[in-house]
Amino acid sequence: MKNKLIVCASPHLHKDESVSRIMWMVVLSLVPCGIAGVFIFGLSALWVITLGVISALVTEAGLQILSKKKVSILDGSAFLTGLLLAYNLPPHVPFWIPVVGSFFAIAIGKQVFGGLGQNIFNPALAGRVFLMASWPKYLTTFTQPLNYDAVTQATPLALLKEGKLLGDFSYLKLFLGVRGGCIGEVCILALLLGALFLFIRGYISWHIPLTYIFTVGVLTYIFGGSQGLFSGDWLFHILSGGLILGAFFMATDYVTSPLTRKGQIIFGVGCGLLTAIIRLWGGYPEGASYAILMMNAAAALIDRFTKSRVYGTK
Amino acid sequence: MEISKFFTIFISAVFIWNVILSRFLGLCSFIAISKETKPALAMSFAVMFVTTMSSIITWLIYRFLLIPFNLTYLRTIAFILVIATFVQFVEMVIRKIAPPFYRFFGIYLPLITVNCAVLGVAVLNSDMFFINGKALEGSFWYSTFQGVCVGLGYTLAMLLMSGIRERLELCDVPKAVKDFPLGFIIASLMSLSFLGFNGFRF
Amino acid sequence: MKKFLQEFLKGVFKENPTFVLVLGLCPTLAVSISLINGIGMGIAATFVLLGSNIIISMIRNFIPDRIRIPCYIVVIATFVTINEMVMKAYSPALNRALGIYVPLIVVNCIVLGRAEAYACKNSVVNSFFDGLGMGVGFTLALILISGIREFLGVGKLFGHTIVKGFEPVLVLSMPSGALLLIGLLLGFFNLINKNKP
Repeated sequence: MKNKLIVCASPHLHKDESVSRIMWMVVLSLVPCGIAGVFIFGLSALWVITLGVISALVTEAGLQILSKKKVSILDGSAFLTGLLLAYNLPPHVPFWIPVVGSFFAIAIGKQVFGGLGQNIFNPALAGRVFLMASWPKYLTTFTQPLNYDAVTQATPLALLKEGKLLGDFSYLKLFLGVRGGCIGEVCILALLLGALFLFIRGYISWHIPLTYIFTVGVLTYIFGGSQGLFSGDWLFHILSGGLILGAFFMATDYVTSPLTRKGQIIFGVGCGLLTAIIRLWGGYPEGASYAILMMNAAAALIDRFTKSRVYGTK
Repeated sequence: MEISKFFTIFISAVFIWNVILSRFLGLCSFIAISKETKPALAMSFAVMFVTTMSSIITWLIYRFLLIPFNLTYLRTIAFILVIATFVQFVEMVIRKIAPPFYRFFGIYLPLITVNCAVLGVAVLNSDMFFINGKALEGSFWYSTFQGVCVGLGYTLAMLLMSGIRERLELCDVPKAVKDFPLGFIIASLMSLSFLGFNGFRF
Repeated sequence: MKKFLQEFLKGVFKENPTFVLVLGLCPTLAVSISLINGIGMGIAATFVLLGSNIIISMIRNFIPDRIRIPCYIVVIATFVTINEMVMKAYSPALNRALGIYVPLIVVNCIVLGRAEAYACKNSVVNSFFDGLGMGVGFTLALILISGIREFLGVGKLFGHTIVKGFEPVLVLSMPSGALLLIGLLLGFFNLINKNKP
């Protein structure tokens, strides 16, 4: 009989919900922004999404078959990783980018640690950062929204980083996603709908996303302006880049974030701090992926120092 | 002496060119001792102490002994001898006057003699802050500060790694990658995430 | 003679310093960005290893035990300095490419490790072959790693493009990729060693 006494770290779930069901619900919540992305950028985006997901599933199944373990691709976690990776890519990347990225995300970001529940870093983000470091020119070529002919255009944050005047960006355009960017990050409206769904069902709590976004807002308000302190355009910063996607769907990943509420708040603040620092003074226009990964590394440490007292011990 | 240079040294030594994750100095001890947080902290403290002190001493030796007497080619021997002697001396002193302290991190001191990070930062200082045999303005303070920051960078990497590995102890990882291989893969992912600090301008 | 061959081969395969003993990784990862650098470092380290093994083995009965580590370091440092000077004179480009890792050979765990574990207990001839084996094993490891890194990470070998139109995996030319590669290689060698009793 398989050993029923499982000693491991997160996630420990005691609800009726199974891990599998939660994964598929998260996938469901991400459908709106995927549809929006395809609508805004064209069928190329759909292609990227499909390849990312298939590559993730094939990699996981392949590795599990090779190591004679149970094939678990139906639990939705590989699907989710592939989906999130694709959402973090520009819409017109060469076909092999999402394939290689998903492969790395599943093989190195997840399976090498022993599979679901044991990875330290968010696999989708690990894949994205790997792609960014290896083939930067493909990962930084963005296209015009609503123009299916793939005309290149810089993202709002990239323009901000270069100090160029921001053409005709209105908050409404940012909110609806009429801007250059990655497939799943541009349509804030769709993302918030999905996040709302997750909140209502109780799959994510406010601690990480709200502290994350709030910290970024505060810091960009204080330091992000061109007319001295306290003149930054915080709304612009919140609506741009991958912040909303990252804050609600990636920083909240159970496995790679702290368990305690206090720890989660620290995690959210840390992510926000690092994101803002990179956006304001670093070399890259967007720092969300790096920030979350760095905080993933610290999550174990945060857990250790915010452990709630076990009854009866010192 | 510019303040911004100190800031650059700090960001550079701790994040962008982290002594372990980017320069690969101190890897042996990093992988070996980062399994638990307490020893990791003790080792880090010892390393920071030694890197700082040896930065000071090696700078003085380079500036007032090796350069004036045209002996810079003896840099390697001189530095490593100084470091080894210093560490031996410190170990004896601490053992005598502060036994609890010795129990905390004393056993790691001999290990630090051969820690690439210590000799590495000394050599780095003499390369970065001396040009054509002349010390740059403020180079003593830059060198010392870099010694401190290298220690801080080491501490950061060790702390993060020990937290992660303590947690992985509870999980069953594939046997082939247990311990060393996985340690390197984790370090690789950490190094990837630190890339976010590239191109820092202040 | 057979015993000498055994000593030599031990350092290359069964006790390969990089993949089995996991020693001397600092320079391995740092200089293995190109094959030339990897081979250069391998040769330099082998020279130091041979020199120090021989000398330390020769004087092993005269060194007091309490100060043996500093004594080893002095011997090793001497050879490292000789090596440094020769490199500066005859291959300055390589010297610059290897940078601070040339003087750092003095704290290379392999060199000190062999002195401590072997040369101080064995005859000069045995120590010579042990040093040779370890040096060759180290160099082979460097060739493997830098070959992979240069080919996949930069798209070249010895500075020449081999496959046209190949998009190199740039991350392999960075520290992160190096760490990943060594982790995967260590895991790979663990896997094949597991199947051999």
